[in-house]
Amino acid sequence: MKLKQTLLLAGIVSGLAFAPAAKADDTTEVIKALRQQIDALDQKVRVLERKRELDRDVSTEAANTVPRITIGNNGLNITSGDTNFAFSLHGLLQTDSRSFFKDGGISGNDSFLLRRARPIFQGTVYRDFDFLFVPDFGGSTVQIFDAYLNYRYQPWLQLRAGKFKPPVGLEQLQSDAVASLNERSLATALTPGRDIGFQLWGDVADGRLSYAVGIFNGVADGRNSSNADFEDHHEFAGRLFAQPFKKTSLAFLQGLGCGVAGSWGNVSSNSTGLSNGFLTDGQQTFFAYTNNVVALGNHWRWSPQAYYYYGPFGLLGEYVISDQRVQRSVGAKSFTADLQNTAWQISGGWVLTGEDASYAGITPKHPFDPSSGQWGAFQLVGRFAELDLDKATFPTFANPGVSAQAAQSWSVGLNWYLNKNIRINTSYSRTDFTGGGASKATTAPGIVTRQPEQVLFTRLQLAF
Amino acid sequence: MKTYLKLSFVLAGTLVAVLTGSLVAPAQAKDIKLLNVSYDPTRELYRDYNAAFAKYWKEKTGDNVVVQQVHNGSGKSARAVIDGLQADVVTLALAYDIDAIAEKSKLLPAEWQKRLPNNSTPYTSTIVFLVRKGNPKGIKDWDDLVKPGVSVITPNPKTSGGARWNYLAAWGYALKKKGNDEAKAKEFVAAIFKNVPVLDTGARGATTTFVQRGIGDVLVAWENEALLSLRESGQGEFEIVVPSISILAEPPVALVDKVALKHGTEAVAKAYLEYLYSPEGQEIAAKDFYRPRLEAVAQKYADKFPKLTLFTVDALFGGWTQAQKTHFSEGGTFDQIQKANR
Repeated sequence: MKLKQTLLLAGIVSGLAFAPAAKADDTTEVIKALRQQIDALDQKVRVLERKRELDRDVSTEAANTVPRITIGNNGLNITSGDTNFAFSLHGLLQTDSRSFFKDGGISGNDSFLLRRARPIFQGTVYRDFDFLFVPDFGGSTVQIFDAYLNYRYQPWLQLRAGKFKPPVGLEQLQSDAVASLNERSLATALTPGRDIGFQLWGDVADGRLSYAVGIFNGVADGRNSSNADFEDHHEFAGRLFAQPFKKTSLAFLQGLGCGVAGSWGNVSSNSTGLSNGFLTDGQQTFFAYTNNVVALGNHWRWSPQAYYYYGPFGLLGEYVISDQRVQRSVGAKSFTADLQNTAWQISGGWVLTGEDASYAGITPKHPFDPSSGQWGAFQLVGRFAELDLDKATFPTFANPGVSAQAAQSWSVGLNWYLNKNIRINTSYSRTDFTGGGASKATTAPGIVTRQPEQVLFTRLQLAF
Repeated sequence: MKTYLKLSFVLAGTLVAVLTGSLVAPAQAKDIKLLNVSYDPTRELYRDYNAAFAKYWKEKTGDNVVVQQVHNGSGKSARAVIDGLQADVVTLALAYDIDAIAEKSKLLPAEWQKRLPNNSTPYTSTIVFLVRKGNPKGIKDWDDLVKPGVSVITPNPKTSGGARWNYLAAWGYALKKKGNDEAKAKEFVAAIFKNVPVLDTGARGATTTFVQRGIGDVLVAWENEALLSLRESGQGEFEIVVPSISILAEPPVALVDKVALKHGTEAVAKAYLEYLYSPEGQEIAAKDFYRPRLEAVAQKYADKFPKLTLFTVDALFGGWTQAQKTHFSEGGTFDQIQKANR
């Protein structure tokens, strides 16, 4: 009995002693299992968050492959994600007024006109092929001005084919949107306008020398080619232009550029070969060949040219020789001559508001915003130009009583660049003539050369 | 006409004289930009190397060189160059990716690898494991990566060169362990990828997943990436486990000829790659945990790199072209593994 009681007591005591320890083991196991579960869940959450991060990266990268569209002062631009394809829409709109003074009663001269209205389509395909298409709706007929494809093999070797400006006149090659005065000078009258052909060109020596050499249909002085000139003979044109100090530390010489350009062709047709006549700054004819005069034979041009830009100051000059063999048939007789006309010009400008002048134009530092006291940029410009006809032209090939033998023109003006896109010009030009001016003439050139031409230009331009 | 001809020659002569004078006149030091498109984990290496090369080039030529870097999974980087990214040089994870650039875009010749020493690989690496401090899952060798409950971090072999080295290292181990049985090797690698919870696009991304996001038990990584993580963790959070056998990883470098020619950077780009083999270039590689090729530098840093048995892609897989075709092309063994694991 006593033993049973003792054993029973011992059992009760040991049960009481070990019960908390067993509970503690269970709790530890539970905690361990819970910890493992928490760790596993924690890992799952981290994995999900990381996958989300990676998915976001993929989405961002995919977004970078979509085309980029921008619109701003450089027009509308669309570029593929890989930048191999691009399309840009630009435009040029020029609304002019011309007011003539003491013009001897010439009627229908003063006018408002839409001088240029061009949508400009530009782009790149497959990274290296650029194109440009520019129709013009200004004037009285719609024309295609530029239409070409350009292959950029390397910056120093490019091939252009289509309709574009041959590499001859310095002022001619300047963009229509940035020329300092409303109309180009008398010197440009002897250079070719747009022509159809092929040209190899490029920039070498780190951009210090540019070259261009091309073969074209051939076009008369100061004229643009039509879109299909059928001419057995072609014209070669070439230009070398250097900016020798461009990469040096001589800041005052970095903007100096000089070069020489020329062309040579052999023409046999009047429609492409011989100029219809020469125009003043006011776009009036002051010289015309008489009837039955055709270009027949060699036509060469030569033009040394230079510019200089330093800070707000800019200067541009060129000298042009155009030598052309002509013929005039009168009955059974034929008269031929090599007529050599020369022209030169020097034009300068000063940006009064301090922006840098350049061949590529001016960008105002402070675009027009009167509420902020910003007025854009102002530029004073001036030009002197002269064109001399070969004395052998008269009287066989032109009437000295109506056509001038020489013209000298000077111009001064003020350009207001409201911003990169909008510009207002105003300028005054005076052209004096030597020869011509027969008092009874009722049409140009005689009516024009009777007195100096004085014209006030204004222009409102939008370019983007 | 004769007068004008004379005048013309005078003017042309003056132009030539002026131009010649300007070309020989002391010019300003040139500012040169190079683009190095590289694989994911080489950021630190090329940060250090680019600074050293710029100093060297300035002293040698007076010109200033700025090297811009683009880093991505090696396959992605190669794709970007093929698609038009204007890389003057590429420094990728494996030769196959540069071969792809040569073949698809013709930007460099097919025999590019012969142009620089050691098959255009100025440094090498291998594949090791990075585990958490204390190695809680007891990872000792490749076999431990297939155990249930072990979470393995490795990037995607479709985009990452490092991931392809990882994959082939595991496959090579399995071949050697299982008597060259390709089917068993495939099973082995499939089992590893079953334990992979997330696939990054590049090796650096995988390191971020493991080290910064705290995901996984073991990171299969470039040796240089693992050593870099050890150095940067600072608090002893990780350990390196060296497997019994691994692969000799040979990341190559190459000049992208047509792009360098177009940019006019051919000479400096060539010098940039050649300088990797110089004593200074090799020292920088070693300090950034890449195994240098130059014997003297390799000896100097020998104790930094663990010793282990290495096999090559050529020896076990017949070269990268064959390996790519068998394992990583569309419908290759990796695709089959991923499909089966879904």
